[in-house]
Amino acid sequence: MTDLKRFSASAIPAELRQPAWNEILSRLGLASDAASSIRNDDSGHMALSVSARDSVFVQLTATPQILSPIVAKATQPLQGTVLVLALLDGTAQVLDADQTVKLASGDIMLLDPSQSWRLALQTRFRIMLIKLESSSFLLRLVRTGRQEANRISTQQGIGALCLNMLQSLTEQLPHVDNNELPALEVTLAELLVACLSHKQSVANEEATDVQLAHLRRVCRTVDSRLDDPDLNIEQIAAQEGLSARYLQKLFKNSGTTFSEYLKSRRIQHCCIDLANPALAQFSIAQLCYRWGFNDAANFSRTFSQFMGMSPKSYRASPPQDLHEQLRRGCPQTKPSARSLATDPQSFLQDDDIQKRRRPFQEVLDDHAKYALSLRLAPKRVSDIENTAPTQTDTQSSRQYYLPVSDKTVHWGYFSNAIKPVLTVRSGDIVTIETLSQHASDDCERMIDGDAGAQSVFHWTGQTKNVDRRGAGPMDATIFGRGAGEGFGVHICTGPVYVTDAEPGDVLEIRILDIQPRLSCSPEHQGKHFGSNAATWWGFQYDDLLTEPKKREVVTVYEVHQHTHPPHAKAIYNFRWTPQTDPYGIVHPTIDYPGIPVDHSSIDKQFGILDKATIPVRPHFGVMAVAPRESGMVDSIPPSYFGGNMDNWRAGKGTKLFLPVATPGALFSVGDPHASQGDSELCGTAIECSLTGVFQLVLHKQRDLKGSFMDGLSHPFLETPDEWVLQGMSFSDYQAELGPNAQTQVYKNSSMEAAMRDAFRKARHYLMKEHELSEDEAISLISVAVDFGITQVVDGNLGVHAIIRKAIFPDYQAD
Amino acid sequence: MTEHICTPGCTHGITEENKKDVVEEFDTARRSFIRNAFVGGGAASLGAMGVTMSPMSFAAGANTPINADAPGQMHYYIPATPETILWGYFSKSAKPTVEIESGDFVTMETLTHHANDDAERMVKGDPGAESIFHWDAQRKGVDRRGAGPMDAKIGAGGGAGVHICTGPVRIKGAQPGDILEVRIVDVTPRPSGNPDYKGKTFGSNAAAWWGFHYGDMLTEPKKREVVTIYEVDATGERNWAKAVYNYRWTPQTDPFGVVHPTIDYPGVPVDHSTITKKENILRDIRIPIRPHFGTIGLAPAEAEMVNSIPPNYTGGNIDNWRIGKGAKIYFPVAVDGGMFSVGDPHASQGDSELCGTAIECSLTGTFQFILHKKADLPGTSLAELNYPLLETQDDWVLHGFSYANYLAELGPNAQDDIYSKSSVDKALRDAYRKMRHFLMTTQHLDEDEAISLMTVAVDFGITQVVDGNWGVHAILKKSMFPARS
Repeated sequence: MTDLKRFSASAIPAELRQPAWNEILSRLGLASDAASSIRNDDSGHMALSVSARDSVFVQLTATPQILSPIVAKATQPLQGTVLVLALLDGTAQVLDADQTVKLASGDIMLLDPSQSWRLALQTRFRIMLIKLESSSFLLRLVRTGRQEANRISTQQGIGALCLNMLQSLTEQLPHVDNNELPALEVTLAELLVACLSHKQSVANEEATDVQLAHLRRVCRTVDSRLDDPDLNIEQIAAQEGLSARYLQKLFKNSGTTFSEYLKSRRIQHCCIDLANPALAQFSIAQLCYRWGFNDAANFSRTFSQFMGMSPKSYRASPPQDLHEQLRRGCPQTKPSARSLATDPQSFLQDDDIQKRRRPFQEVLDDHAKYALSLRLAPKRVSDIENTAPTQTDTQSSRQYYLPVSDKTVHWGYFSNAIKPVLTVRSGDIVTIETLSQHASDDCERMIDGDAGAQSVFHWTGQTKNVDRRGAGPMDATIFGRGAGEGFGVHICTGPVYVTDAEPGDVLEIRILDIQPRLSCSPEHQGKHFGSNAATWWGFQYDDLLTEPKKREVVTVYEVHQHTHPPHAKAIYNFRWTPQTDPYGIVHPTIDYPGIPVDHSSIDKQFGILDKATIPVRPHFGVMAVAPRESGMVDSIPPSYFGGNMDNWRAGKGTKLFLPVATPGALFSVGDPHASQGDSELCGTAIECSLTGVFQLVLHKQRDLKGSFMDGLSHPFLETPDEWVLQGMSFSDYQAELGPNAQTQVYKNSSMEAAMRDAFRKARHYLMKEHELSEDEAISLISVAVDFGITQVVDGNLGVHAIIRKAIFPDYQAD
Repeated sequence: MTEHICTPGCTHGITEENKKDVVEEFDTARRSFIRNAFVGGGAASLGAMGVTMSPMSFAAGANTPINADAPGQMHYYIPATPETILWGYFSKSAKPTVEIESGDFVTMETLTHHANDDAERMVKGDPGAESIFHWDAQRKGVDRRGAGPMDAKIGAGGGAGVHICTGPVRIKGAQPGDILEVRIVDVTPRPSGNPDYKGKTFGSNAAAWWGFHYGDMLTEPKKREVVTIYEVDATGERNWAKAVYNYRWTPQTDPFGVVHPTIDYPGVPVDHSTITKKENILRDIRIPIRPHFGTIGLAPAEAEMVNSIPPNYTGGNIDNWRIGKGAKIYFPVAVDGGMFSVGDPHASQGDSELCGTAIECSLTGTFQFILHKKADLPGTSLAELNYPLLETQDDWVLHGFSYANYLAELGPNAQDDIYSKSSVDKALRDAYRKMRHFLMTTQHLDEDEAISLMTVAVDFGITQVVDGNWGVHAILKKSMFPARS
């Protein structure tokens, strides 16, 4: 059944037109100012269709008016969605506080419905508006607050395709079933991703432009049908309205053939899956069926032919240039093709054929790049991955996979203004990759060959993929360390928007599993490494025995996951030497995160700690919801919203409860640790990238009466055997310390204050949840509650109180 | 610590089997003691309550006739009597209750100084407790309570130190620079002597004015002291304690007529007609027991009489619940003979001992003493040890204090000043330095290795914030290092 609403102004009595008009607009989260014009205009038309995934497609034709998002209705889960505007006829302007973007007929623009802006349609107009569900990652792709950059060029290439698609959609909308719309949504999202990351094509010869456009289209079609084992060139040709011979020619121009290309695309997708530790529980056969191989033996043969090794050994050890392949395109049958772009010398020697070939090959390469960025964009996990084993009832929960990339992280700060990268509902399960900010201490072991880590850490003289690191000024006018000044250091993956979450609610984060992120470098394939830095902010820094008295020492550990019990061993350490970052700034100490350490400048000591076997306690140092305060908040001091608590008990099987401070909660996670002792004395743990499986459960305020969660104003951790109350020097340092809180917290903290806070929180919990009187609570705390030192290095010092559940044999959580 | 570094040829290792023998022996001794006490009755029983001594039956071999003159380990029994305890202080010159050889065992009764919070349950019918807590208008069983002046207004000794410490035990040959290892072979609760409470043991937890919570209360009156009485299973079958009732401290007039508006002097008998008992508290709550000795240590060298409250380099009121059965604790010897005392028995306590006290509950412990001579220490885990080091089944626990040796660091007024100068930050600093020292000395790590290791694998916890010299402990897992051959 098609959920299509048509609205024709002339068919409705004038006085009822405006409410009807606005009712439909409200489905998009928009309101119109066109009170009078609609009433007097009988030529307004609207067609609306809602997909099975709740995305809304609206075609509008009307007289000038201004549309703006209904920001006041914050209860509507608008965040996590994206509005796609295609101006088919007319002129318009998008205005926000800072700027005005002019739109002409044929322009496409992405709008964030959670922001405040106005769309002024200045002439009589025809537009297509699409509210895409769960697609806010699109906005992350452009990573900018400037609306200008959200405009998509539709002059040629992929942008033109996108416009074409939207134009034809306006025509066909009445004839598309709402169960068919999701396919369009996916395609649209993919097209938009491609548009946003597409660089302008610089084809010189006019004649090839059309061919290139065709090739791009064909690439996309092929990619969308890789899972069809019977796919052949005739089908594609028919689908695209081109002749099979013409297609063959296009591929020939690119130096390959259709079937080679198809195989290489499939193999490439398989490579990504095989190298993804999160999919380790699936057999190779399951993964290859997913990409259109219907015969495992055939797959194995093809794979070996392309990759020079069997899928099994590939999975055990993906090759060094995995990243290169992902970025530059397929495993080429002609290796020379890849060196073309990078080696100008050989390019000059190329003959005409190769000159002509180059733009075609670029199309293929670019396409592979977009495909990768799509893979790295968060999305719902397909059905095959839904079989992932989880301990909880997952009947109604959906599963998501959130890979780490420069598009899905915020580095060194929290803010309620960061656009969510993923929207989930209460009960959904999200697998989230996290990276240690210390990975660049040893790039070879912890970054090389890892596409996600490379995209985050990428930093050359020209480009730095994640520029802002910390909550400081972007122009680094305070210390000159770099953008964001390193006021906050943790790479946080997220935020994840939880539908319906509102201030006053409590977000429960269940850590179902924690998996290591293995090294992808060929030398260290499949091993797992972490870095421990004894830094200037450590407790030991001014209290050293041996010379030089003020030194920073980095110790690199290998984590052995498969021994019983798992343990870590030190490999080597080195003294930090002044490091010059790619922008030329010298860092005499570890004052800015993610500086690639030049290993030729350091002196490595091997054979250290050779007798010590360190038990591992994998956990996440940082788990946070967005703070209620506006602006950016340094990721280092923990606070009421969670953050950098650095408690090693937050490992697998635990639940963390955080008070929601902002609509959607906006959960982020980072600072993964392989192990840490209580106090995290020298400043850091074994900092080591991990992937966590989290189930996010929302507890609405109205259901909390009588529970400890009612009015919860601090993080609360529950392990299988204990409840852990996290005390901090300042339980809400921003509120307590005023405007300079982010500086003052580092100066004014003390252990006594943290102990005091832990005591008060333990007392409050026992009185509220277990209904004890104050005297009972105090006696119980003294005789049965253990206080430990969580950390002494995160500005807002931490002391935790541990209450064993065995004390309450009859207790049942509500 | 697996290595054996005392005298050659000694056989003091405890196995599962002979541990049973020790326990049995202790039970026998206790039974005979109680029997004697009942037979003699009254003052006469005091004669029977002297220190007894017997050769270790299991050391000599079960079938060998006992020969008291034969060399070998001896097992002493020290009941708690006014003659065998010091109340509220350590003293290097106190007369030892017994003098022993390295390797000998001593079973020592200890009494909680809070027993008079409910004399009915914790003193009555127990001759040892009755004799110590005896206090009428004429006479106190033990007059000096604390290291203060005998003419102090609130009572003799001024309550400058509160713990009833059994001992001292003098270890022959112990000299400053040596290390005394004390193995806690067994810990058992002291059953109530009152037939009305047969088979039960009781303890008292006082939320006192020196607690961390005092003055930081939610409900009125903001400054109150509350005593909670707990019941512990004397048979040891149940491993948890439960609350019986609590009451608010009211001004108590002691038998000499001095009024105690707060808990300012130990052993003041609480007149239960002046208090209001609240029953049915902490319902359905089970507190896992962790029987241990809060105060355990040697006499310091710095002063003649030292307040028992602040812990120090020779141990004392460490208040770490890990000092229980099966643990070994190593003390630096500061004076000739070591002069070991133990007291402040606890049924359970949380890290921090927040409200000022634990479940204060009389216990009896069996200890073995092993002397490690200074010359034998280099190259062992005890090298350069200058603080109390605890070894449990799985861990080494190092004790940091705000002042590692407050008597030496704070000068002549140390015993007063320590109460106003402590902080958790200082105690953590001390624990960090001790752990660094331990790793560098005994594991031969360099400083950078030690710092990285303790950051990633050592847990720092808050031992107590109520004993003047605040404590932070550092826990190092033994399993991280390969066993020594």
